[in-house]
Parts: sequence; C-alpha cells; structure tokens
Amino acid sequence: IQDDHKLSTEELEEKYGTSTSKGLSSARAAEILARDGPNSLTPPKATPEIVKFLKQMVGGFSILLWIGAAFSWISFGIQFAQGAESAFDNLYLGVVLALVVILTGIFAYYQEAKSTNIMASFSKMIPQQALVIRDAEKKELSADQLVVGDIVEIKGGDRIPADIRLIFTQGCKVDNSSLTGESEPQSRSCDFTHENPLETRNIAFYSTTCVEGTATGIVINTGDRTIIGRIASLASGVGNEKTPIAIEIEHFVFLVAGVAISIGVLFFVISVSMRYKFLDSIIFLIGIIVANVPEGLLATVTVSLSLTAKRMAKKNCLVKNLEAVETLGSTSIICSDKTGTLTQNRMTVAHLWFDDQIYSADTSEDQTTQPFDQSSQTWIALSKIVTLCNRAEFRPGQENLPIMKRVVVGDASETALLKFAEVVLGDVMDIRARNKKVAEIPFNSTNKFQLSIHETDDPNDKRFLLVMKGAPERILERCSTIMINGKEEPLDSEKAEAFQTAYMELGGLGERVLGFCHLYLPENEFPDTYPFDTDSMNFPTSNLCFVGLLSMIDPPRSTVPDAVSKCRSAGIKVIMVTGDHPITAKAIAKSVGIVSATSETVEDIAKRLNVPVEQVDRRQATAAVVNGMELKDMSLQQLDEILCNHSEIVFARTSPQQKLIIVEGCQRQGAVVAVTGDGVNDSPALKKADIGIAMGIAGSDAAKNAADMVLLDDNFASIVTGVEEGRLIFDNLKKTIAYTLTKNIAELCPFLIYIIASIPMPIGTITILFIDLGTDIIPSVALAYEKAESDIMNRRPRNKRKDRLVNEQLAVYSYLHIGIMQSVGAFVTYFTVYAEQGFLPSTLLGARVYWESNTINDFEDSYGQEWTKYQRMYLQWTGYTAFFVSITIQQVADLIIRKTRRNSIFQQGLFRNKVIWVGIFSQIGIALILTYGLGHVTALNFTPLRFQYWFVAVPFAILIWVYDEVRKLFIRRYPGSWWDKNMYY
Amino acid sequence: MATLSEKKTCSERMENFRRFVWNPETKQFMGRTLINWVWISLYYLAFYVVMTGLFSLALYSLMRTLNPYEPDYQDQLKSPGVTLRPDVYGERGLEIYYNISDNKTWDGFVTTLQTFLTAYTPAAQHLNINCTSDTYFIQDTFDGPNKTKLSCKFTSDMLQNCSGLTDPTFGFPEGKPCLIIKMNRIIKFYPGNGTAPRVDCTYVVSICSNYGDDSRPLEVDYYPVNGTFNLHYFPYYGKKAQPTYTNPLVAVKLLNITRNEELKIVCRVVGTGIISDNVHDPYEGKVEFRLKIED
Repeated sequence: IQDDHKLSTEELEEKYGTSTSKGLSSARAAEILARDGPNSLTPPKATPEIVKFLKQMVGGFSILLWIGAAFSWISFGIQFAQGAESAFDNLYLGVVLALVVILTGIFAYYQEAKSTNIMASFSKMIPQQALVIRDAEKKELSADQLVVGDIVEIKGGDRIPADIRLIFTQGCKVDNSSLTGESEPQSRSCDFTHENPLETRNIAFYSTTCVEGTATGIVINTGDRTIIGRIASLASGVGNEKTPIAIEIEHFVFLVAGVAISIGVLFFVISVSMRYKFLDSIIFLIGIIVANVPEGLLATVTVSLSLTAKRMAKKNCLVKNLEAVETLGSTSIICSDKTGTLTQNRMTVAHLWFDDQIYSADTSEDQTTQPFDQSSQTWIALSKIVTLCNRAEFRPGQENLPIMKRVVVGDASETALLKFAEVVLGDVMDIRARNKKVAEIPFNSTNKFQLSIHETDDPNDKRFLLVMKGAPERILERCSTIMINGKEEPLDSEKAEAFQTAYMELGGLGERVLGFCHLYLPENEFPDTYPFDTDSMNFPTSNLCFVGLLSMIDPPRSTVPDAVSKCRSAGIKVIMVTGDHPITAKAIAKSVGIVSATSETVEDIAKRLNVPVEQVDRRQATAAVVNGMELKDMSLQQLDEILCNHSEIVFARTSPQQKLIIVEGCQRQGAVVAVTGDGVNDSPALKKADIGIAMGIAGSDAAKNAADMVLLDDNFASIVTGVEEGRLIFDNLKKTIAYTLTKNIAELCPFLIYIIASIPMPIGTITILFIDLGTDIIPSVALAYEKAESDIMNRRPRNKRKDRLVNEQLAVYSYLHIGIMQSVGAFVTYFTVYAEQGFLPSTLLGARVYWESNTINDFEDSYGQEWTKYQRMYLQWTGYTAFFVSITIQQVADLIIRKTRRNSIFQQGLFRNKVIWVGIFSQIGIALILTYGLGHVTALNFTPLRFQYWFVAVPFAILIWVYDEVRKLFIRRYPGSWWDKNMYY
Repeated sequence: MATLSEKKTCSERMENFRRFVWNPETKQFMGRTLINWVWISLYYLAFYVVMTGLFSLALYSLMRTLNPYEPDYQDQLKSPGVTLRPDVYGERGLEIYYNISDNKTWDGFVTTLQTFLTAYTPAAQHLNINCTSDTYFIQDTFDGPNKTKLSCKFTSDMLQNCSGLTDPTFGFPEGKPCLIIKMNRIIKFYPGNGTAPRVDCTYVVSICSNYGDDSRPLEVDYYPVNGTFNLHYFPYYGKKAQPTYTNPLVAVKLLNITRNEELKIVCRVVGTGIISDNVHDPYEGKVEFRLKIED
C-alpha cells in the first residue's frame, strides 16, 4: 500500500526525483521506462495458436480414431510384410481415418478462430496521448511512454493516463464508475482526505475519465502496477471454468467412447476365442470403433452452436466463446451490475414537489413530453429557476437529434435539469437569452448552493430575478416564504414539516434531491445599473421564497422490469451487485422488480413491528440488502445463508473482491452463475462466473476481455433472449445427438452379426464414414433450427447434475429401440439383395471364411451357380450400398421423429422448419450421387443399386415413425408414469 | 463447477458404486427397484419378440417371392469364371511348382486331381444321360424324375490321356503335367452362341517379365479334342432342376515345358459371350497360373 497521498508536494518531488515545474529529464525518463516497462496493461496470456490447433486434434473422439488409424497401419504393415494383396485397403482406411480427424479438427479450429476474431476487433484501441512536462517543456506523448515521476496535465474529457497524485486542481471531477461503479462524478482536490488511497481525493486513477476542470499531477504508478492493473491481474488469476455444455459433451464423449471400447474389446475377445486370426480381430476392432464413434457429431455441435451464436448476434448478444451460448440457457442466477445495465447510466429528473404535492416525471429513454400537471403558477416559477440557474449547455449543431440523445457540457445533475427543461419548455437557450444573466455564483461544496441573477423577459418588469438551487435543507434555511399555487405564503412550521416529509420520501427513493427558491429584487433598491458583486454578495441571500424540490435518479431502462419478470418465471434468480449506495440500489431494485413490491427486508420488518433488528425472524424476510461493509465481516456460512434464505438480494457498496466472493458463493449453491458488468472492477467476477456478460457500449476493454458474451446494446433484456436461445439449443442438441446416435447401432450390428454368424460383411468401414460424414451432417444441423416445443421460458433452469444432455433414456431409446428397428430394416434389405442374386440367408450363415477366400473362385450359391472372388466382392459392395441406402431411408424417419421429444409431429408441424426438408433432400441427394454417380469408382465400394431396393426399408421407416408417435402419445397422456420416466429423454 | 470437479477419494467412489448396486434405503438394485426391473425386462422381452417376429415375417415373405429354380437377378454373373485343378495358391496366385525327381512335391497335385475326378466316375454319373447332339440341350419341361430336368453325362474317360485312368500320375513325373480347366456354372447361360467354347492356353506376354521371351509357342494337348465344352451341357437349369449336373471339363497337357524356369501361362475359354478381359476379375473367362518344373 502506497502512502503517496499523505506526502506533501516537496516530499513527492524528492521521492520521485522530479520537479513540479520542470518535470523529468528525457534521459531520466528513458532510464525509468527501461526499468518499469511501458505504461500499458499486459494483455492476458493467449494460448498459442498451435496449441489450440493440436487440442482440436486430440480432443473428443479423435483419440479413438487415431487408435483406429494406428491399428489400420499396423495391420497394413504386417500384411504388407506377408505380401498379402489386400494390405493396401488397410493403409487407405488408416489414411481416411486420419484425414477425418484432421479435417474435423481443422473445421473446429476454424469455427473457434472465427468467433475469436470478432472479439479481437474490440481490443483495438486508439493510442492515447498525454500532455507531459519534460525537460521543462510541455510535450504530447503517447500514454504508454509515461513513467513514474512524470508531471502530467489533465483537462475535462481526458482519460487519466496513469495513477496520478494531484498537485494542482481547478474544479476537477472524475468519473470513477469503471472502478467503483458509482455513477456520480467525484470531485478531486490536492488535499489528503482519507487514509485509504482509494477514497482520498488527491489521487486520480488510471483509465477513469476527467469529466470537467483541469488538474496537474505526478505519475505514481504505471502499467500493471496501477490500481486498475492490479484488478486486471486479479481477473487473469481467476481460472477459466469449463462451461456446462463442455461438461455435457465430455460426459457424452465418455459415454460413447466407453460403449465403443467395451463392445470393441468384448468382440475382440470373442473373435479371438472364435479362432479368427489375430489380424482379422484387429480389423474388426477398427470397424467397431468406427461404427460406434459419431465422427461428424462434434462438428455438428459446433455448427449448431455457431448458428445460434449468429442468431444471438443479430439480437445484440455477441458470443465470444461458442459454448457460452448454452451456458446462458442453464443459468440459474444472474448477478447483475446496476449502473448502465439495469439503469440508463444518466441522471434524469424523476420527481417534483411543489404546491405541497409530489409529481412523477417520465424517466423513459425517449421522453418527448412530461405528463404531470403544469397549470400551476408555482410550476411556472419553478421552471424558470430550473432553466436559469443552470450552467449546462447543449453542444451546438444537434438540433435534429432527440433531446435525450444530445451531448451536454456540464455535470450530471445540471444535464438532467437542462434536458428536463428542454423537454417541458422548449428552447432553453432562447429563454436564457431573453433573461440575461447579470451575476452568478457557481456551486461549491462550502456554500452548497448555486445562484444567479437575471433580467426578466417582461419589458414592463424592471426588477431583477434572483434564482438559487442547492441542497434542500440549505435552501430552506435561506427562505422565509414558500410559494403555494403561485402565491407566496409564510413558511410556518407546518409547511416546513410538509417539506421535510417530501424530502425524506424522495431521499428514501434513492434520489438526489435539489431545492429551488427565488426572489424578485425590489426595483428601487436594485436599479438597472446596480453593480452586482459576487465576492461581497451585495444582494440578499436570505428571506427568499421557496418554490419546490426536484429529485433525480439514474432511472432503470424501460425494458428491464419486463426482462426481470421473465427471468423470474424462467426460474432465474436475479441478484443486484453494485458499488452504489444501498438506498439507491434498493430503490432501483424495487423499481425493476429485483425486489418485488410486497417483499420486505429484515430492516423493513423491524421498522414495521418496531422491534430491534436482532429479534426479527430472518426467514420471514424474502428480500435482503447487504452492504459491502457487512459483507466484509461475514463468514462464508453467513453468506451462504443469505444466498439460500432470501430470494431477492441486493448487494451494495461492494468491492471487486467482494463481487468475486458473491459469485463463488452462488456457485457453491450449485448454481450456474451469469454476471453482467461493464467496469474494470467487474472483470474478476466476469471471469469467475460461468458466463460473464460485458456491456458493449459502456463496457471497458478489461470487462470485454474477461467476458464470454458482449451485449451490444447494453440492454439487460437481451440477456433474456440469450437465455431463451441457450435453452433452445440445449433441447435441440439433445435431438441432434439422439438422431446421430441411433444409426450407430445400425452400423455396429453388421460387425457383431458378421463376427458371430459369419455372414458376408454387410457394411464397409468406408461406407460408415460416408453416412457419418456425408448423408447425416446436414440433417443433424437442421435440427438446430427446430422451434421450441413449449414455452421454454416457463420452466426452471436445468439442474446441471441431473438434467444431462445425454441421459440414460436418450441413449437407451436411441440404441435399443430405434437403433434396433433400423438394424432390422437394414438387414432385411441386405438379405433381400443377396437372396435375389442367388444367396439365400441359409447359405450365407457361416459362409464367411469361404466367401472371403481368395483361393475359391467357384463358390456355389443357393441355386448351384458358381462365383469368382471378384463377383462375390462386387455383390458384397452391392450389399454395402443396399445397407447404406436402408440406413439413409430410415434416418429420414429418424430425423422426422426427432423434431419433437414430447409433442406429436403433427402438433409441431411437419413443414414449419424448412431446413429439415433441406436436410432430407440433401440426405437422399447425397445417397443418389454416391450410388449412381460414384457407383463405378471401385475404391469407394458403392455400386449402382437396383432401384427397388431403396424401398425395402420403407415399412421399417414408417414403423419407426408410428412407434415414436405412440411413445410421445403415452408420455403426454400419462405424465409421471413408468412410461414417462423410461421413455422421455 | 467446483462442486462437480471435486476430487472424490477412492473409498467414496467405492461407496457410491456400492450404493448404485444396492441402495438399501430405496431398495434399488442398479438404480431400479426389483419390480421396476421386472417391468423393464418384460417390456424389452416383448419388444424384441415383436422385432424378431417382424424380421422373420419379412424374411418369410421374401422367401415366398423367390423362384426356387433360378434367382431373380444375375447382375454379377454375366460371364462365367474359370478355375484350374489342381488349385494350389501361393502368394501370387495359382502356383504349380514341383521337382520331377522328388515325388513328394507332386504327389499332392495328383491326389487333388484324383479326388476331383471321383465326381466323374461312371458310378457317380449313372443318373445322367448320354448326350450326343452338339447343340444346346434346351428343356422347357421337367422330364427327369421328381420334377427335375435331365443332365448330360461327363465321365473322366472323356479326358483320355489326362483321365488318370491310363496314367494315374497325370504326366507329372514326365514333366508333361495334365491340368484340368473348369468353367463356372451360370443358370441359363448359353456360351458360344451356337459354337462350342474352347480352351486356349498360351504364355502370358508381358513387357517387363522374362516369361514371354521364350519364342517357342506353348505346345498343348487338349482333351476332349480341340478343348471344347460340348454345347449339350448347356444351359444349366440350377441345382433344384438338375441335382446331378456336373460341369464339363477340359484337360490340358503341357508338352514342351522348359525346365527350371518359372513360366506364366493363361488358359482362356474362347467363345461368344465369354469375357476374359475384365481388369478387376482375374478369373473371369480365364485362369492364369505360374508353372515351374525342376529336375
């Protein structure tokens, strides 16, 4: 901890070897620069591209396929050494398997790189300039050249280039919101005001902005040693957690690989004990692995996720990490920042009090009129004060912009008042011009008021008008009368009481309240030529007439309350975590529905029952507002208790570390936590969260870097869209996986039957690859376009420990029900083709050894005809083609049934998802091309199949559809029944 | 995620597994109660019985549609394959290598031929009729016993010098071995378009091998005369119609084989409709073999 804020200017000059007037010498600066390095944040360490690429090559099923390829090459080596003719088949198979792994790896890498590139554009920053005194000269330098000891000058609008101890200030205010989350600008001075360097006034922090005024200071920290730098490195210290979908996919890969390996090994043992040659057994093993592994599935999942990511980008959710698409869907707690996310991040007039009555003003983003009653004379007086006693001005040249979007020079409250006046009264600048200002005292912290004196626009009235605004209690002190319905009445204790009530009420809403008063100076005492002197104050500043109060707040975005209630109905808990004050935080939480209107905090109950806080039963309070100071003293158990017992929680005045603790606490409850934020202070929490959501407009680069997702419109409501898409993609991935897994059985059964019953091989390894990576790809992506079956926003988020992507029911139903039907259908086609060419099933059983023998060229079929080896091989390829075609035809039925999991296809609509039809036509089209177009290429093992064999499996395809409709019917008819539990996936 | 990735100790894992196998609280065995297991087993039993039934039904109806006498299609059997006896395969196909002076090297060949020809003894052929016509033996009706068609006799004595009757060693010790050429059966195949197909054996002329540089033509004796397959053995009507049918044979006796040299010889069946130039199928319409006789 530094104590630079406690030192005097001279001590600082000595400490850093610098001079406030001359600055450092260039040589000395270069020396320090060499020692400390440039003044910039070290970007987070990126994984080298080659490592990312290699990870794709060994992840998922790749290892299994590599093993398959290795086995192929080994058996090629052995066979080649023995001089067998068929050796090269194994070499090619190995090459094909390796190619499959490499190509899918490249594809996945490309997809990932594409989504990363979108983000890279964000981090491009315009090089920042700083005004530095070096060698007794003022110089413009690139900010990263700054070193400790440099004297820098800052003016309104600049970004602070480093941590700076101020030595000279003039009306300087800084916006610390990116550091602390406070939306109000903080004034800066040279005085040491607080022990804590973060709270003291005489230090300005790197990356915050100077809103107004000027200042000069000594650079005390640069680069990673700045406060922001330390927070940023806190963020990079937080490890990246695995996303829920990554865990699900890992679980699925584990499951499928487990099945593949156990069946493979089992049948390897069986085939060895059945006295198959060792080499043959290895080749069977490869076949079983290839049949079991859905080679195209991981690529399909990536494509589906990136399709959703694209869809979300259109809705202003930019996804940085593809897997985060689904994470949002399984989110059960959202920890939302207040400023900028829930609120508009701009002060707006929310309430008015005059004529002893509170009026509400419109605080929406695009207000054009104000609906409150404007007929009272008091309002006319009040509006005049609001207009005249205000130094803020619109930047010129914005006449065509909506008032709310115009840029204003001035502080937040004055801006709010200016815009408010412009909306209600019209051209404020013109009114000011007509009421010429003759004298002015700007706001300062000792007076706590602002005063100006104007000529009136009434030519008959030669009086001057004195207007004043400021802290309500100070303004009231200076008043002796109060205006009610346009008439001045004496300010008695009853009226003062009414003022107090209104002031407390508005303050209780978390709003900043300003009081307004005026006085018409008597013409005789203050003639036209009267010399007003603001230093001696030769005019009255007491016994004024109190006119009214205006209160301002950073109002919630109009879409937020609806979004919060949608989150509620979707079972998502929304927690507010902010650096702002508890009262303001609670008020905003109430107005957006994070704390619902009827719920009470422990403190509220205590107040209502008039008992001490300790006596209240904590369980009765549904809401809780927790201060950062309380959080500091809490044990983890106490925090867990709060997170468990209260459904509506607001954390106020929290530090970056505390945000991290809160996120960890939520994760301890087993929740999937989304964190929204914009400031650097949020970045550790963003990183720690299961999904970090940064604001695209207001967000700092550090926040965007740490986040998984960026909201381009800074709108909390976009998160709800994201949740919906995330849930939909989870459901649709289930469908895709169910679809893809089904045919694995139809691909696997041939090997098992081949080994056990010794029939000619029904399907080739290469043919399987053509299904997995050919006909099946587009249909499985098409399922990603499927619409939701029911309102997915009305159910609870999935329990990440129970609701798996691939559960037992899904695997069992795909493998043991539909998969078996497909196998039966395909085998019927297989036997039909062989029988019609002369080999009846009875002849085929046990025929394998002779069938495959190269030395038998007069193999007899069931009709007594004799076949050479090649003639048999060609028939075998025809069998492959027939098997392939049957699987394809039945996969069409499989694709249609997978459109829904519960509803009937006819409820869902057969034609609503057009992409499914693209899938079906592509599937059949690819099959036609393979059979008839490439049927003469021997290496591919396809043959031009007789046309009628395309229809053999159709009855089984229909059976699949009917069976699944019956399954869904019973699931709908008998929810919770034995059938539902076993058949719903 | 911390909760999911928590490392469990080995005993905890074992305990979890034990609870999975038998959970005394819920009385669940492997995640299901006993009655649940019964239900699910019954369901699967019924499901697979039905699936087996459907499969059998499909195969049954398939068999019903099939013609018992001939297959529906002969897509791959456009032209017959040709095989050689003795059929000894080495690494590079048919290889007939032997040493005249060592009778162990050729005993096997002789036995193979003798065994092969047992199907052609008069006793084995007694159900077949003698045919004399030199045209296709077309039978539109079932003239044989038990709704069969008649088959023509082919006895080994038709192979004369290579019948194994006059010379039980088939000429192997003299270095003039007899080899038997057989053409594969194809139902309703009419070879030769009215002319009897015949066997023609030559050296394989190959650019990059030393086999063909022997300028002497291959001297061969063919049995029966001219090495023809008589047309009355065709067409074949299938196993059910002609249960006693035997393929006609042609024996080739190689006369002028250079000793101690590996030779590559091809025997083609020449006739209209018999293709012998399929690059993929080395046994369609022809048979190639390597021969090496040492002394």
